[in-house]
Amino acid sequence: MRGPYFIQFYTLSNWSLWAKIMHMEWGIAGHEWAVDLLREHVAQDRMRHAYLFTGSQGVGRRTLALRLAQALNCDQPPASGLPCLKCRSCEKIEHMTHPDLAIVEAERIGGTLKVDQVRELQRSLTLTPYEARYRVAILLRFEEAHPSAANALLKTLEEPPPKVILILTASSVEDLLPTVVSRCEVLRLRSLALNEVSQWLEDDWDIGSEEAGLLAHISSGIPGYALRLHKEPELMEKRAVWLEDHQRLISSGRVDRFAYIAPLIFTKNPSKTRTELRDRFLIWISLWRDVLHKAIGTSAPISNLDHAEVIAGLVEAFGEDNARSMVSALQRTLILIDKNVNARLAAEVLMLDLPYRKIDPPAGETHFQGQTG
Amino acid sequence: MTLALYRKWRPQTWDEVIGQDHVVDTLCNALKAERIVHAYLLAGPRGTGKTSAARLLAKTVNCLSEDPVQRPCGECEHCQALNEGRFLDLIEIDAASNTSVDDVRNLRDKINFLPNQGRYKVYIIDEVHMLSTAAFNALLKTLEEPPAHAIFVLATTEAHKIPATVTSRCQRHEFRRISIDEIIAQLKKMAQSEGIQAGDEAMELIARQATGSMRDAISLLDQLASTGKEITLGMAQDVLGTATSQSVLDLMDAVISKEAPAGFDQIHTTLDAGGDPRQFARQIVDYLRGLLLMNMGNKEQSKDTADVKLQMEKHADQLSVDKLLDLIRVFNHAAYEARASWQPALPLEMAFLEAIETTSAPVQIKEAPAQRAPERKTPAKAVKAAQKTQEPAIEVSPQDQEAMQSLNAAWGEIIKQVRRDNPKAYGLLNSTKSRYIKGNQVVLCFNSEIVKQLMEKEANLEIFRHILVQVLQKDLIVRCEVDSTKRNTIPPELGDDGMVAAAVRDLGAEIVDIQ
Repeated sequence: MRGPYFIQFYTLSNWSLWAKIMHMEWGIAGHEWAVDLLREHVAQDRMRHAYLFTGSQGVGRRTLALRLAQALNCDQPPASGLPCLKCRSCEKIEHMTHPDLAIVEAERIGGTLKVDQVRELQRSLTLTPYEARYRVAILLRFEEAHPSAANALLKTLEEPPPKVILILTASSVEDLLPTVVSRCEVLRLRSLALNEVSQWLEDDWDIGSEEAGLLAHISSGIPGYALRLHKEPELMEKRAVWLEDHQRLISSGRVDRFAYIAPLIFTKNPSKTRTELRDRFLIWISLWRDVLHKAIGTSAPISNLDHAEVIAGLVEAFGEDNARSMVSALQRTLILIDKNVNARLAAEVLMLDLPYRKIDPPAGETHFQGQTG
Repeated sequence: MTLALYRKWRPQTWDEVIGQDHVVDTLCNALKAERIVHAYLLAGPRGTGKTSAARLLAKTVNCLSEDPVQRPCGECEHCQALNEGRFLDLIEIDAASNTSVDDVRNLRDKINFLPNQGRYKVYIIDEVHMLSTAAFNALLKTLEEPPAHAIFVLATTEAHKIPATVTSRCQRHEFRRISIDEIIAQLKKMAQSEGIQAGDEAMELIARQATGSMRDAISLLDQLASTGKEITLGMAQDVLGTATSQSVLDLMDAVISKEAPAGFDQIHTTLDAGGDPRQFARQIVDYLRGLLLMNMGNKEQSKDTADVKLQMEKHADQLSVDKLLDLIRVFNHAAYEARASWQPALPLEMAFLEAIETTSAPVQIKEAPAQRAPERKTPAKAVKAAQKTQEPAIEVSPQDQEAMQSLNAAWGEIIKQVRRDNPKAYGLLNSTKSRYIKGNQVVLCFNSEIVKQLMEKEANLEIFRHILVQVLQKDLIVRCEVDSTKRNTIPPELGDDGMVAAAVRDLGAEIVDIQ
């Protein structure tokens, strides 16, 4: 079955390249062990009825789930366990329009997957596949499922109808009901090595090696995030602005810091407020984590490769203790914001926690600040 | 598509139910004596055999074998039908999907019909904790007195969610977590008959990972066996994301010797090698628990190898019980509480730093910031601060001091009288920052030039002098000054960036008292 590919690469007698091509056929950055395992399952027809892919957002959970569905239902597999990614089935699955593919997810990121969606899915799963070999249901971000929705799926997850494969994705096993996890085959996807990400960006997306390296560092090994940064340049611009904001805030007084937070609060739109704040704080926490690493003197690579001087400056000014308390303050704030506390209050408390560094302003200025305060 | 092992190996006889002897014995004896009650409640953690036991119960009561001891025989028509899932009188209801009161009413309508084939109609209501309150209540009467041919078996992982009125109508059986040894024995049995090659260490890791749930253990075995190769410890660690025990030991070394860089590097090598951060934290907690057991004198309880034990003893000697408890708390927090997925390693890193702090003696913790605080300041500032603190000590003669005391004692009375005559002057006097007597002068220090100028108005000075004479019986010259020295002084021990410093610097606050 391995046919032309096999001969072609065998004559090249380049086994490592062959092995690489085998992974590339799934078109996924990294996760070789997971791809190997799943390909083996498909090839030997030893499919489990339920899989659970966990990992950070952007690590490739959904892509892996779609590839698995393609490998299962490909019309002309080039080799057993490999999807061709070109046939009608593969294309339809890629665009998530295949009649035997059900995608179930919360209406938006951070929303709730409702019990009605699960019931609807259960109804459709009892039908035999329309054109493909397997009916595949992909339940994305299952940690967002309402408890009753997760419970409603339990029986289906344990003993689904024949010819049905359920694939769940979630951020981590701990966020799901233990009863759900124990019914699935769990694949924990991890962040990739940085050079793996940069190599992938260079090879598959024609990105220059310098940019690829930077993106890999910033994303700390999460290919989806790195690619998003590349595709949406405004994200990189925003990042630069936010890092500058941070530098400015460090050396300004409480009044200015509070003034910075005020326009980010949308009283009518709490979820927008949350995103505005969270995005900034995520950038800052990666910065402070770098500072912490540098202050301690570890050999781990830093994320914000392009801001090495800023980081060095912060290390010198504040040292390990401050970096540590700042990382935990940011961490706490992020968790609080996700828990839906008063976002303004949380952000302002964070502003008070932010350490202060004087940058020798003209004498009059500090005086002025004192008076207005 | 192969059947998952945990479905293939679902117990078909009572003997195959593992680790639940207390339940199995009770049920078996009751069934042999044909003392069947109309409602059972099976509760316990996931993967301990509730659904399996419920199905076995249905099989036993409907088995055609003459001898009650032989039931379920597994051969008669009914047993066969049950095994294949086509027995009409076994009604398995997924309560999590059919939660509403209408579903229960539907059940109630049909329960009165006699069984089709068997002796009993068995209703297995799985995940029963998800029924709505109304549904539970609608079920109550039927559950209390069902028709003679009906048996209810309710199964749930969360028995506390079931109303007391339901529990009291059922015979309740609690399932327990299955012990590691029992899981290993079962896994070995399965591996043998499935032709799976697996090392003992890998088996033990799987059993530990399953935390008492047979289904988890079998799923893991299934997953590892799917490659068709022999299951090794390394492979199991790879799939589970567990770190080697050596990396746990190395990290503990770093905690004890307080080497932050070494510890951070250890965390990163472990995670780069495919370790899962939470899993790693859990392993550390596990190891610390071993140390705790050692320190409490339970050496025999740990089942580790000799050289690991040697290391453990070394660590156990260096950590007291209190510190161990602190460390366990810190790493446990990293393993379970942090829901941070934006930087997976971060909770572990923070826990490690906290752990280093915990292992230091308390005296050292207090000293460290104090030593560092002055370093952070620019030298110029430090010198200024020193000058300021010295100033008040200069040139105070004993007479002045005495006069000062009398002034301070009478100050309340003075400003009270000023208030009566001229509230404006009272306000100004109230905002003096300090005051002192020097010879025949009384000097009032103000925060700002503006207030000083206001006070220097003839009327204000006059009234103040007048009242001073009245109260102190002394004629003093009143002089006003702007006190720039005391302003914005941040005591060195407070640091440059704290809340107090900010209040003084930005908001013009004054330090009144330090407690």
